[in-house]
Amino acid sequence: MMAGSVVLTSLLSCSIDEIADPNGPSVDVVSNAATKTQLDELAVGIESSIRNGLGVEVTASGIMARELYLFDADPRNTGDLLGKNGIQLDNNSFYSTAQWNGNYRAIKNANVLIEAISNTDAVDVTEKNGYLGFAKTMISYELIQILKSYHQARVDVSDPDNLGPLLEISAGFDYVIQLLNEANTDLNAAGTEFVFPLSTGFSGFDTPSTFLEFNRALVAVASVYNGNGQDALDALDDSFFNLSGALETGPKHVFGLGGNDQANPVFRAPSESAAEPNNGDQIIVHDSWINDAEAGDTRVADKTAVRPDPSIQDDLSGDYETRLYASSTSPVDLVRNEELILVYAEANILTTNFVEAANALSVIRNSAGLSDYTGALTQSALTDELLRQRRYSLWSENHRMFDMWRYGRSQTLPKDRSGDVIYSSFPIPLSENL
Amino acid sequence: MKKQTHHSKWMLLILLMLPVVFMAQETITGRVVIQESGEGAAFMNVIEDGTKNGTATDIDGYFTLSVEKLPVKLKIFALGFSEELVDVKTTGPITVQVEESSESLEEVVVTGLASSIKRSNLANAVSTVTAEELVGNTGQTTVDGALYGKVTGVNITSSSGAPGGGFALRLRGVSSINGNNQPLVIVDGVYVNNVEIPSGLRFASGGNAGNEENSSNRLADLDPNDIENIEVLKGSSAAAIYGQRGNAGVVIITTKRGKGGRTKISFSQDTGINVIQNKLGLRPWTAQSVENTFNAAERAKYEATIAANGELYDYEEEIYGNTGFITDTRLSATGGDEKTKFYVGGSYRDEEGIIKNTGFDRLSLRANIDHRISDVFDFTSTTNYVRSNSSRSFTGNENEGGLSYGYTLAFTRPWVNLYPDANGAYPNNPNYSGNPLFVRDQAKNEDSNNRIIQGFKLNTKLYTGDKNRVRFVVNGGVDYLANETYVYVPETHQARIDGQAGFIAQGKNNFTQFNSQAIGVWDHTGLKGDLNLTTQLGVTYLKQEGNLVNGRGYDLAAGQTNVDQSVNQEIDQFKSSEEDFGYFSQIEANYKDRFIATVGYRLDKSSRNGDPNKLYGFPKASLAVNFNNFDFWTLEAVNQFKFRTAYGETGNPAAFGATFTSLATANIGGSLGVSVAGLKGDPDVEPETASEFEIGLDIGLFNRISLEATYYYKNVRDLILSRSLPASSGFTRETTNLADLENKGVELALRGDILNGENFTWNTGVQFYLNRSEVTRLDVPAFAQPGAGFGTGLGTFYIEEGKPVTQLVGSVNGELTQVGNVEPDFQMAFNNSLTLFKQWDISFLLQWKEGGENLNLSRFLTDLGQTTPDLETPEGQARLDSPANAVRFVEPAGYVRLREASIYYRIPRKNISSIFGDVISDVKLGVSGRNLFTITDYSSYDPEVSVNGGAGLSSGIEVAPFPSSKQYYFHLNVNF
Repeated sequence: MMAGSVVLTSLLSCSIDEIADPNGPSVDVVSNAATKTQLDELAVGIESSIRNGLGVEVTASGIMARELYLFDADPRNTGDLLGKNGIQLDNNSFYSTAQWNGNYRAIKNANVLIEAISNTDAVDVTEKNGYLGFAKTMISYELIQILKSYHQARVDVSDPDNLGPLLEISAGFDYVIQLLNEANTDLNAAGTEFVFPLSTGFSGFDTPSTFLEFNRALVAVASVYNGNGQDALDALDDSFFNLSGALETGPKHVFGLGGNDQANPVFRAPSESAAEPNNGDQIIVHDSWINDAEAGDTRVADKTAVRPDPSIQDDLSGDYETRLYASSTSPVDLVRNEELILVYAEANILTTNFVEAANALSVIRNSAGLSDYTGALTQSALTDELLRQRRYSLWSENHRMFDMWRYGRSQTLPKDRSGDVIYSSFPIPLSENL
Repeated sequence: MKKQTHHSKWMLLILLMLPVVFMAQETITGRVVIQESGEGAAFMNVIEDGTKNGTATDIDGYFTLSVEKLPVKLKIFALGFSEELVDVKTTGPITVQVEESSESLEEVVVTGLASSIKRSNLANAVSTVTAEELVGNTGQTTVDGALYGKVTGVNITSSSGAPGGGFALRLRGVSSINGNNQPLVIVDGVYVNNVEIPSGLRFASGGNAGNEENSSNRLADLDPNDIENIEVLKGSSAAAIYGQRGNAGVVIITTKRGKGGRTKISFSQDTGINVIQNKLGLRPWTAQSVENTFNAAERAKYEATIAANGELYDYEEEIYGNTGFITDTRLSATGGDEKTKFYVGGSYRDEEGIIKNTGFDRLSLRANIDHRISDVFDFTSTTNYVRSNSSRSFTGNENEGGLSYGYTLAFTRPWVNLYPDANGAYPNNPNYSGNPLFVRDQAKNEDSNNRIIQGFKLNTKLYTGDKNRVRFVVNGGVDYLANETYVYVPETHQARIDGQAGFIAQGKNNFTQFNSQAIGVWDHTGLKGDLNLTTQLGVTYLKQEGNLVNGRGYDLAAGQTNVDQSVNQEIDQFKSSEEDFGYFSQIEANYKDRFIATVGYRLDKSSRNGDPNKLYGFPKASLAVNFNNFDFWTLEAVNQFKFRTAYGETGNPAAFGATFTSLATANIGGSLGVSVAGLKGDPDVEPETASEFEIGLDIGLFNRISLEATYYYKNVRDLILSRSLPASSGFTRETTNLADLENKGVELALRGDILNGENFTWNTGVQFYLNRSEVTRLDVPAFAQPGAGFGTGLGTFYIEEGKPVTQLVGSVNGELTQVGNVEPDFQMAFNNSLTLFKQWDISFLLQWKEGGENLNLSRFLTDLGQTTPDLETPEGQARLDSPANAVRFVEPAGYVRLREASIYYRIPRKNISSIFGDVISDVKLGVSGRNLFTITDYSSYDPEVSVNGGAGLSSGIEVAPFPSSKQYYFHLNVNF
């Protein structure tokens, strides 16, 4: 009875306390009066999350562009993406959502940082400009990836309850260039140092002025995608483009295997021996990439290797497997000088400076052990050569599908099986409620 | 509070004086004996019929009762005995004989939190499953698995055939899409934890989420043999008094109690085997088909294997063909005296699976004590300690893990030798990323559980009078579960996670659940005994805490099995804490067993709601009318004709964490970063609430046949949905109140004692039930339910207004199309028990599920690996050429199954006593089987399947499951 009374008393006086999330900080907390540490964590989070969705972005677009096969447990990699038996791409499968979700997650993080910056006094105006220029440049980078894969993008996404319209590709790139120019202004007023940490992936690009060189490189890329050669050439002048510089220069995604970090999603374990071929999750090189290569092109041996046995799945087969990355922590380029040289060549073709274009293409050819370009100095011949060099320099880096599409050549890609269909972009995810 | 304590002391004083006030004139003395043995019958109730005057017999069966005048009629009864009415004309000593019987007292059903009601007066269709029905036929591993075919309105899905189960119970359809869909399980007043605990296996297998790891649900810790009975409150109208935890129904389990009297010891031994229910077989390859399918090189390998072995390797047989040995040993003692009754028991079950190195074992110890402190106080304590272990190996969905057998076998070509060489080295599988024999022999997926469930109940009779009785009940309990999970993939495994060799995951998970309630109950008898009113008022409190820690190591030192012995480590932790608080009151009125009406109301708040201190109300009302108890009823043949109707509301708060929009950790280059986590919370989320209207008719004929017919309509409002958000917002999911859902259905239960002869009795039961659901409101565009399917490409659950919530939708030629519905058209169960020549008991239970479709994505894998058994036929080849969309993989999933069958022989008592004397009282021997045969058109192992465990919308999608088994048992029961 006494025990009962005690229980009853304690029960009647019960008021339930609101519970704070025991498992992580909440978005509301950082949006208002964030501390500098919280701002830094958001900045690091942006650099971390721009890697989201990268694996599917590269492999799925590579499959669709007949650059490679992904033989793994998911049959859609050899089915849907190659249009097997005429099947259509699904707007609610991993290949159509992974990159979209990943890119927009990073963009959201950048928008959370931009909002946090406008509601805090923890850093001064100059320092704020550093955060803002970084955040806007990263949004632009992600939007370029989205436009390449989907040909459309939502650019006004800061308010999750009032999303802006989907822009078509040209308007999308116009927005990207405008946002990069805004970031340019921010970065020019950001002092000499960023006050937030960047990983070693941004070594050489980790101050406002050097980061601006990355920003300008993105303007150049977006400009040629929009068919604007002169803007690209102007932007390249202020970027880290260097016709005689090391091809690999440029900011990189870095990877780690520790907790809450990410591994390189495009790395695949090499076959160790004939007795131990990799028969699991494999990136197999499309035969056409091997067969179409010019004799002596060192990129073939640099990026791929012959397997001990051919790999066969779903009536597809290949003799070569990827060697693009040495390990699961090898970095992946965001954009490197090699691509900028190709952008320079393309911009010169667009502006009909054919000699300079050929010159740039020869730089790339020479780096791959090939002789100078000796073909015709015409728009069409040079474009053919440009696409060929892009195909080998940028293999398995999500370029081929977009390159073929923007030059109207998607349907010239080879089909492996009768009934296969070629697709050149992913459907906008179902969840966008179009 | 203090005041009330004083008050109760006065009550006590009054109680002590009562006998003086009502002192009678005549005294009856006598003895009650058991007819068969002649022993005294202890603790029988002896009541002056038609009054409240009564007593109980002592331990030897003697009693003394004072009555006002003679002659009187004495009613003598107790649970487990026949009821006797005797006329007493004089005061001399009398002897009354009673018979032991299992059906003598009318069944009572719990309807309030501290009250019960006779079944004949019940206004809801509450299904009761007795111990005999639950485990009397055949061996049962888990409580939920034992309920198949025994409860109308229930849909049970097995998510894994692994020993130790993995079951989802749905009562009257789906009542929540994102939240808890499993009924609340209460064992002896304790809210028990029925969680599925992820092991971190997905980090090795590449599975998408914790619910693809095929864990069992922790109801598996409860030994079904401990159970006295189960009451299933299926809908809101019956479960309303459980308020915001009652939306998915309530399963009330009562464990065995001491009966008092002579100490009885019971020993049981079950011995049995587990074998695969249904093998799919090999594709009947020919040399030509090998070459056509693959190439000449494969044909050469095929021919070499045929030449060497004369046949192909049957890896299905090798992996799933194990004969698993089962033993289940139980020992219990029950007895006690006038003040204290006890039941103590222990059981140990050890079950091996159909895959070598899989199994489940459970040690369960129980002590249930009932003690009467005085005429005023009595208490009950129920204590259950469980240690259970399971080893479940690797099944289910994966991506590149090389672990799940369904995947490996789909791609393994049967001419490839995967057996270890003389040095014990396993060859790599040339056609997939794992060797299934290696995984079976060397990789581990285990869990172990230490659990204590302690219930208590203190009953205080504050006042016991002629017309009024007041008692105060405090009850509740604690469920503490310490779970450990362990996943180990040796560094020699073929597949590598991000190039890292070997994986280990060690989970340490603790859960504490505490619940209590304090209730005052007032029984009032009015109108000269014609009206009984039971009023109760109480408060309830619930607190649940969880802390899940999972530590993982990658890139292991050779042969090492400690997380520490690895290059890279990851740890994650999930903490949860929730509190509920509620008030309730209920009044039941019974007029001459003719009209029985109940009204009640419950108010609840929960920390899982957006506003933790907002109270939500849940009313209920019900009416039963027993026409057969009216004076005008003259139809002797119809012994029961009851009309009943009930209405009630229940709730379900959002899942823990739904109110938060959290940032997750996203590191890079050694710096800590934060990133939005994809899930947008709703700080204003409200509980989903269901209202249910139920109407029914119960008819009894000749006291031998009964029919229970029920129609229900249940409407769930403000359904909490985890809907897909436009991912361009940065969030992929949002959990909030978005929809309404209705379930309606019919339940029929017919029981009959068909024959009741000297040498032949036959009881039969037929159940029929169906449910239909429809999403009646959806505030957002239709969407594919996240985590319940593999996208519209292969088929998914799809939440759409005007459609069943269980529909399967796929994209067919670019159009979203409903390709199936996992809801059965109806289900039936046919249960029979026969007794022949008094000693032979034969019973069987047939279950029929008609209609309903599954998505068989296992077939997608075997088609891709070219190993589907029908691929030598034109139909199979035609399928290969059809687009890989949902239409291709949807299959009818109806079945008829012989769920249970048994034959027992009870050795006649005279034979026993001639050999053992009085030492042994009963010996029973039997053989039985479970899941003995299945008739189905479904092409895979078992039409009952779920790749996503038991939560939410999960049933009916198949990817590489653990095949179901059938069991054969030999039983021996001995009572001392």
